[in-house]
Amino acid sequence: MAGLAVQIRTLLLLMFLTSTSFTLTLTNANVEGDALYALRRALKDPGNVLQSWDPTLVNPCTWFHVTCDSQNRVTRLDLGNAKLSGKLVPELGRLERLQYLELYRNNLVGSIPKELEGLKSLVSLDFHHNNLTGSIPSSLFSLSNLRFLRLNRNRLTGRIPRQLTRLRNLKIIDVSNNDLCGTIPTSGSFYKFSEKSFENNPRLKGPELMGSVSYELGCD
Amino acid sequence: MFAPFGKEKILCQLLLFFLVLLILLATSIASSSSSSFRVSNTAPSPSNYAFQQEAMEALLEWKASLYRHNNRDHNNSQLLLLPSWTVMAANGSNSSNPWKWEGITCNDEAAAAGGVITIINLSSMDLQGTLHDFNFSSFPDLLRLDLQNNSLFGTLPPTIANLSQLIYLNLYKNNFTGSVPVSLATLNKLTFLHLGTNQLSGPIPLEIGNLSSLTVLDLSFNFLINGSIPTTIGGLKNLVGMYISSNQMVGSIPMEIGNLTKMNSLMVSDNLLTGSIPISFGNLSKLNFMYFYSNSLSSSIPLEIGNLTNLYDLQLMNNYLTGSIPQEIGNLRSLTRLYLSKNSLSGSIPASFGNLTNLQSLQSSDNLLTGSIPASFGNLTNLQMLQLSDNLLTGSIPASFGNLTNLVRINLLQNQLSGQVPQEISNLSKLQDLQLANNHFNGYLPQHICINSASLIFFSGSNNHFIGPIPKSMRNCTNLMRFRIDKNHLTGNISEVFGVYPNLTFIDLSYNQLYGEISRNWGKCLQLTNLKMTGNKISGRIPPELGDSTQLQGLELSSNFLVGQVPREMGKLSSLLILKLNDNQLSGTVPEDVGLFSKIERLDLSMNNLRGSVPKQLGKCTYLLYLNLSNNRFNGSIPVEIGNLVSLQILLDLSGNLFTGEIPPQFGSLNKLTNLNLSHNNLSGSIPSTFSEMLSLVTIDVSYNELEGPLPDNRAFRNAPMESFIHNKGFCGNVTGLQPCISPSTKKQTPKHSHKVVILIISILAILLFLLFAFFGIFSFFRRRMRCIVEDPIANQQ
Repeated sequence: MAGLAVQIRTLLLLMFLTSTSFTLTLTNANVEGDALYALRRALKDPGNVLQSWDPTLVNPCTWFHVTCDSQNRVTRLDLGNAKLSGKLVPELGRLERLQYLELYRNNLVGSIPKELEGLKSLVSLDFHHNNLTGSIPSSLFSLSNLRFLRLNRNRLTGRIPRQLTRLRNLKIIDVSNNDLCGTIPTSGSFYKFSEKSFENNPRLKGPELMGSVSYELGCD
Repeated sequence: MFAPFGKEKILCQLLLFFLVLLILLATSIASSSSSSFRVSNTAPSPSNYAFQQEAMEALLEWKASLYRHNNRDHNNSQLLLLPSWTVMAANGSNSSNPWKWEGITCNDEAAAAGGVITIINLSSMDLQGTLHDFNFSSFPDLLRLDLQNNSLFGTLPPTIANLSQLIYLNLYKNNFTGSVPVSLATLNKLTFLHLGTNQLSGPIPLEIGNLSSLTVLDLSFNFLINGSIPTTIGGLKNLVGMYISSNQMVGSIPMEIGNLTKMNSLMVSDNLLTGSIPISFGNLSKLNFMYFYSNSLSSSIPLEIGNLTNLYDLQLMNNYLTGSIPQEIGNLRSLTRLYLSKNSLSGSIPASFGNLTNLQSLQSSDNLLTGSIPASFGNLTNLQMLQLSDNLLTGSIPASFGNLTNLVRINLLQNQLSGQVPQEISNLSKLQDLQLANNHFNGYLPQHICINSASLIFFSGSNNHFIGPIPKSMRNCTNLMRFRIDKNHLTGNISEVFGVYPNLTFIDLSYNQLYGEISRNWGKCLQLTNLKMTGNKISGRIPPELGDSTQLQGLELSSNFLVGQVPREMGKLSSLLILKLNDNQLSGTVPEDVGLFSKIERLDLSMNNLRGSVPKQLGKCTYLLYLNLSNNRFNGSIPVEIGNLVSLQILLDLSGNLFTGEIPPQFGSLNKLTNLNLSHNNLSGSIPSTFSEMLSLVTIDVSYNELEGPLPDNRAFRNAPMESFIHNKGFCGNVTGLQPCISPSTKKQTPKHSHKVVILIISILAILLFLLFAFFGIFSFFRRRMRCIVEDPIANQQ
C-alpha cells in the first residue's frame, strides 16, 4: 500500500506541472497573438526576426513586423526578405482584420492553407519568391477585398482556380514562374491581366478559348 | 482416552500408520495438483518443471513478438531485448536460475511449494510490439502488471481479464489503440488502473462500476475516449483518484460521482462535458484537487462546493459558467489555487474570499465580474498571484493590498478600476509583475516603488489617468524588463529620473506631459529594443550615447521639442527597424550614416527643420516600407537611389520641402508603393513615363510644383482628384480639368481619330494661308507697276 501512495503522489505532481502550463497559456486570451505564435513555432528564423514575438504579452501589437489598428487588431504582417523557412499555418486565417500579408522572398515550403479564406479584410497577399508547393486554394475567391495577389516564383502546381475571376477588386495577379497547368481564365476580373502575369509556367496552356473544347488531360 | 492393550493396541497403531500414510498421500496429491501453475524459485524439481515451463514459454513467446523500439532489425534486436530471458540448458540442468529474469518477480514461498510470478514490471524498456501474443491465462497469480513508458501498440486483448488476481495494471504512456475492453471490469481485485497517455478510443464501459476495489482510475490523455462518464461510476466506492482529462467525453457529469466520498483527486479537464457541476459534489469532503477546466460546463457554481473544506486546488477555467461566484467558496479554508478564468461569471467577488488565507494563486480573468475588489483581500497573506484582468471591476485597489507581502504578480488589466493605486504597493518586496493598464486609475504612481527591493520586472500602467511625476525611486528598479506608462497625464522632469536598466527591453512613456531631456543612461541599457517617448514635452538634443544601445530596433521620439542634429552615432544602431523623429525641431542635415540602417522598415523624419540634400546612401535601406521626409527644408534633387527602395509600400512622402530638379525615373521600380506624395516642392520637368510601372499606386499628390507635361499611364493618376495636380506649370492629359496634350510625343497618346482631324485642319489652314499669300503677292505686284508709270522720277530721289 506504501507503493500505491508513492504512485499517487507522483501522479499528482505530474498533474500539478501540467496544470501550471495549461494555466499559463490560458491567461493569454488573445486569438490573434496565438495565431501568430503558431506561425512562429512553425518557422525557422535564423535571422531572429521574430524575437520580439512574445506570447505572454496581452496582444501582438508591440511585436515587430506586426502592425495593429486602434483596436489592437492586426492589420499588417511584414516579413518579406526575412530568411524564414518552414511552413505556413492554418491559424493565419484567424486574422480577420489583416490587410497586408507580406511573406515574400523567404524559403517557405508546403502549401498555401485553404484557411486563408478567413482573411476577410485582405488587400495584399504576397508570397512571391518562396518554395511553396501544392495548388492555389480556390477558397481564396472569398477574399473580396483582395487587390494584389503575388504568388510568382514558387513551385505551385494544379490549375488556376476559375473562382478567382470573381475577385472584383483584383488589380494585380502574378503567378508567373510556377508549375501551373490547365488554361488561364479570361473572364471576370481576369480580362485585364496580360500574359506577363502567367508566364514561365511550362504546363500552362494559354488563355481559355471561349466556346472551344478544352482537353483537361494531364493537369492535376 | 482409554489406553488400548493387546489386540486393540496393534489395531490402533496400524490405524495411526494408515492415517499418516493417508495424510502423506493427500498432501502429495494436493501439492502435485496445485503445482501445475507454480514455478519454483529454486532449482525446479521434475514435478514442477512442466508448470513453470508454461509460464516461461508464454513469456518467451511474447518476447519473440517484440522488438526494441527504434531497432527494426528483428534478429539483432532479439539479442538486445530482455537478454536475461533465456531458457535453461537443454539437458535440464539448472545452470542458471530462470526466475532471475529481468522484470519478473515471484513471491517467496518454500521451494517445495514452489513460487508464483506475482509481478511483471517492464516499465521504460523500449519495448515495441503488441499484447496479442501474450498468453494471460498462464499467469493466474499475477498481482501487478506494469508496462508503462514503452512503445507497445495494438489493441488491449480482452483476455487480459484472465489475470484474475490482478491488483495493479499500469499501461501508461504507450501507443495502445482501440477501446477499453469490457472484460477488464471483471478484475474485481483491481485497485490501480492506469491506461493514460495512449490512443485509446471508444466509450468507457458501463461495467467499470463493478470494480469496487478500484482506488485509482486514469484514462487521461488518450484524446479519443468518448461517450459520457457512466453513471455506474458511482459504484467505485473506494475510488481516490479519477483522471479522465484530455479526451472527448460528452454529456453531463453524473451526480453519482458525489457518492465517491473517498475521492481525493477529480480531474476531467479538457473534454466536451456539458451541463452543470452536480450539487452532490458537496459530499466529496476529502477532495483535494478538482479540475474541470476546458469543457463546456454551464450554469452556476453550486454553493455546495463550499463544503469541500479539504480542497487545495479548484480549476474551472475556460467553461461557460454563469451566475455569481458563491460566497460559500470563502469556506474552502485549505484552498491554495482558485482558477475561474474564461467563464461568464457575473456579480461581485465575494468578500468571504478574504477567509481563504491559504490561497496562493487566484485567477478569475475574462469574466463579467463587477463591483470592487474586497478589502478583505488584505488577509490573503499567502497570495502570490492575483489575476483579475478583463472584467468589469470598479472601485479602487484596497489599501490592505499593502499586507500582501508574498505577492509576485498582480494583473488587473482591462477593467474599470479607479482611484489612486495605494502607495503601500511599494512595500511589496517580492512584486515582479504589476499590470494596471486600461483602467481609470488616477492619482500618483506608487512613489516609493523599488525602494525596498528591486524585484519589479514588468510594469504596465498604460491608458489610465495617472498624474504627477515618475517616481524618483525608479532608479532602483534595476531588474526592470518592460515598463509601459503611455497614455496618461504624467508630468515632471525625466532628465534624472531614470537609472541604468541592464535587462530593460521595452519602455514606453508616450502621450504624457513629461518634460526635460533624454537621459544618456539609455545608451547603457544594452538590451533595449524599444524606446518610445512620442507625444511629450521633451526638449534638448538626442544624446549621441543612444548609439551605444545597439540592440535598439524601435526608437520613437516623435512630437516633442527636440532640437539639434540627428547624431551621427545613431548610425551604429544597425538593428533599427523603426525610427520616428517626426514633429520636433531637429535641424542640420541627415547624416550619410542613415545608410547603415540596413534593416530599417519605417523612417519618419517629417515636420522638422532638417535641411541640405537627402543623402544618396538612403538608397541602401532596401527594407524600407515607409519613408516620410515631408515638411522639412530639404533641397537639391531627389536622389535617384530612392528608386532602389523596392520594398517601399505604405508611403513615400517628400512633400513640403524645397526639392528641385526632376522626379527620378527610377521611381518606376517602386512597384509595391501604394501612396506617393511629392506636393509642395519645386520639382520641374515632367512626370517620368516609368510611373506606368508603379502598379500598386493608389493615391498620388504632385500639386504645388513646377511640373508639366503628360500624366503617365497609371490608374492612380486617372482616378486622382483635381487637387492632386493643381498649381503646376502645365500638366496635360486625358484627365478632367486638364488640357489634352498637343506636343508630338503626346500625339501617340491621342486616339487616331482626332489625329486625322488635326492633320486635316492643319492642311486646310496651310492651303488657305498659301492661297492668301499668293493672292496678296500677285495683287501688290500689279499695284506697284501701276504706281511707277504715274509718278515723277524726282520724287523717287531722296
